[in-house]
Amino acid sequence: MIWFIVRRLIGLIVTLWCVFTVSFLLMRAVPGGPYSGERNLPPEIEENIKHRYKLDLPLYRQYAIELGNVARGDFGLSMRLQDFNVNEVISQGLPVSAALGIFALSFAITLGLSAGIVSALYRGSLADWMLMSLATIGIAVPSFVIAGLAIMLLVFTIPIFPAAGWGTLRQLVLPAICLGTLYAAEIARITRTGMLDALSQDFVRTARAKGLSNVMVALRHALPSALLPVVSFLGPAVAGILTGSVVIERIFAIPGLGWHFVQAALQRDYTLAMGLVLLYTLLLYVMNFLVDLSYGILDPRVELK
Amino acid sequence: MLGRTWFLGVLFFAGVAAVGWAVYGGRLPPADFTFVNETEVASIDPALITGQPEGRIVMALFEGLARLRADNTKAEPGAAEKWEISDDGRVYTFRLRDDARWSNGDPVTARDFLYSIRRLIDPFTFSRYSYQAWYIENAKRYNLGGSTLVAGDPVEVELHPPADARNTVRGKLLLGKLVGIDLRDSKQTKPKSARDRIYVVEIDGHEQRFQVADASDAIETGVQRCRQVLLDFRQVGVRVIDDRTLEIRLTNPTPYFLDLLGFYPFSPVHRGCLEKYGTPDWTKPENIVTNGAYRLVTRRIRDRIRLKRSDNYWGRENVRLDVIDALSIDNRTTALNLYMTGMIDWVTVPPAEVLRELLKSNPPRNDLNPAPQLTTYYFLLNNTRPPLNDKRVRQALALALDREEVTRVATGAGEVPALSLVPPSMPDYTQQPCKPFNPEAARKLLAEAGFPDGRGFPKLEILYNTDQAHQAIAELVRKQWQRELGITASLRNEEWGSFQDSQQQLKYLVARRAWVGDYLDPNTYLDMFVTNGENNCTGFSNAQYDQLIADAAKEPDQKKRRQILESAERLLMDEMPVIPVYFYVSRNMVRPHVRGFYNNLQDLHALHAIWLDPNVNDKDPRPNEYMEPVK
Repeated sequence: MIWFIVRRLIGLIVTLWCVFTVSFLLMRAVPGGPYSGERNLPPEIEENIKHRYKLDLPLYRQYAIELGNVARGDFGLSMRLQDFNVNEVISQGLPVSAALGIFALSFAITLGLSAGIVSALYRGSLADWMLMSLATIGIAVPSFVIAGLAIMLLVFTIPIFPAAGWGTLRQLVLPAICLGTLYAAEIARITRTGMLDALSQDFVRTARAKGLSNVMVALRHALPSALLPVVSFLGPAVAGILTGSVVIERIFAIPGLGWHFVQAALQRDYTLAMGLVLLYTLLLYVMNFLVDLSYGILDPRVELK
Repeated sequence: MLGRTWFLGVLFFAGVAAVGWAVYGGRLPPADFTFVNETEVASIDPALITGQPEGRIVMALFEGLARLRADNTKAEPGAAEKWEISDDGRVYTFRLRDDARWSNGDPVTARDFLYSIRRLIDPFTFSRYSYQAWYIENAKRYNLGGSTLVAGDPVEVELHPPADARNTVRGKLLLGKLVGIDLRDSKQTKPKSARDRIYVVEIDGHEQRFQVADASDAIETGVQRCRQVLLDFRQVGVRVIDDRTLEIRLTNPTPYFLDLLGFYPFSPVHRGCLEKYGTPDWTKPENIVTNGAYRLVTRRIRDRIRLKRSDNYWGRENVRLDVIDALSIDNRTTALNLYMTGMIDWVTVPPAEVLRELLKSNPPRNDLNPAPQLTTYYFLLNNTRPPLNDKRVRQALALALDREEVTRVATGAGEVPALSLVPPSMPDYTQQPCKPFNPEAARKLLAEAGFPDGRGFPKLEILYNTDQAHQAIAELVRKQWQRELGITASLRNEEWGSFQDSQQQLKYLVARRAWVGDYLDPNTYLDMFVTNGENNCTGFSNAQYDQLIADAAKEPDQKKRRQILESAERLLMDEMPVIPVYFYVSRNMVRPHVRGFYNNLQDLHALHAIWLDPNVNDKDPRPNEYMEPVK
């Protein structure tokens, strides 16, 4: 177990370093820079700016300096949101994205698991067919379409939710549902497959033979092992959902991190883009690590080495 | 089993607590007036910003010597209560208000303005709008640093500030006379960088050698490191006469100088605040010191900026809104949804496709009144590349462009087809139009240039920044040129950063561009196209044109100056380095109960003038000021 954790920690550092290197090179490779703008600067001043951001140094020296800073957790000032440093941008946006994400995930897990279990237990029935059709639609329809329909219906036709914004639970409901739909649909399908697989296993037959009720068999014995594929799906999904959704945050004007991912890249905000990419890498890695750990808890047959 | 339940319970509780904290931590009581300020502002430092969203905030927080009237954006007394202008139009003497106060209670003095103007033109401030101050005597030379210095100039050598000093503190200044400039590398004939120069400066009778270099840079013996060498600031035409009196000397009489002073780059900043906290910490709500009608209360990234009426502002009795929220929402549909559900009072730009429908509504809406704006949409032609280096080809392209069709089909808010670069709304000026749509003449010119019916004409490429509206226009123009001239063109889109670079480095053949007038004078459009102008972007170079622009700048007689500028535009519209396409209109939507909001050419809406009429609802037929025609 200890070895497993240590190996993963080393893996994390190597992964972060690789991601840093690739991002650094990609950002420098595209044309334009943080100083390009509509009102052009006289060359003398542009030189000063490049010097301040150390963009006048050879690439390997820029790389060494930035790697040193990042290693110390200092991502520097955002190059476009000039009044903030990268850590401030992240610490303001991450809790918002995370809150929305937790809400959306709770919704997705509750709905997805229930639908999946019901579908599996009543396999081949009308309910199964309807739930799985809904799930297919949920996966296929992009979230901006769902958001658009939800706004037309629940903001304009039946005005029960505010159109956008942040600060009350009511403002959280629509974006959380729109964001959670895709995940709910995925979870429903995965749960159904997992349940069907588990229900045909020997230990389930044994449980039935003991005389346990259908519900007890399904929840106590089949569900934990049916959850394994769901958990593997949730690991990366949580990392993605915590760092914010570009589309949903934009449509509902939610001040999370999602939109920064796109804007930082488009506006050549080297420092902010780097901070976000590394944050996402870190979260993704940690979540996958937690998934591996949870395998040990959910399935006694799995041993961590 | 118990462990698992317990674990899930904790996880659930933690989740609920986190959501609660994140949501309720963001709760604020509602503001009196809420508007959508488009994208997240890049900064609230007046010297650093260039965009409209930033301007709306900064012009509420800070106030220059003059401020711009809410109705027609002409200069009126701001922090200065009055001023005198010398007979030759070059010397302005400002008398500051006795009751002009910073938000911390300090008086606003002439020294604050001196400090702020110097900071604006310091090459280390990185101001994009510093050129607005170049009208001041020697300000351009100061701003451009070492590149403009010649032997004999009085100079200031700024040493490096101590390593632990705030980044807003200047290093020690050594004043002296420049003896000459050597090159670091004697093999060079021209410095590649400002860091290649060695400045020989005579200070107190001794010659010393300086080089712009960091502590880590290698350096010759006998040379001292410094941060920068600039013209002595005492040569710049800004002078403090006493605490309440400031004198500004201009190089040329500049009739629009007062209007410039009302624009945000000239806002004063509080030296004590800057030097105590440094950049960017001085802009935090808890630190910032401002002198405008509003002060900064809350600032949340991508959410909102909250402003509150300042208790120290000299004109506080006439500021009627107490709390204002500026939301940063860059999705136009979201902004419109908020407006339509009554959550906000002002939307700056509704989505184009909806706007078209809204304009058709019957009875006409009482909250929408598009009006001419000082912005021109045009195509840049790369004058350095064949076949566009041939004037006849450029003229042919312009003649074959059907602007009416563009504004009818591709834009939707009643934009006006443009035959000149300077918008028709420019006061005291007569546009010099190019020839209108004439495919016959275009074909003839193209044939003369050696491409009858477009035969042998290389493929053109139209570059635009990724945006549906620009794409629609480029697509239409491509078809028009194909139809009328028989030439083929392809489209290329780039996102903003690359797009700027391509224009700068002339890596295009045809590119779209729009220019918002910085001030109410044709010069803001015309001086772009002087040889090597920073915003020229076409490679266009014409000695006669350069001369006209220079003459106009020096001309004290308004009528003559106008005629010179008109002949400059005439020349430009004959040479056709650019093809004007249309003039923008403003597209604000403003609730009927909002008063003191006016349409004007610069689409500037001073927040301090806005108030709400509680007796008016959205259905009220009585028009507010916004629905009146532009003055």
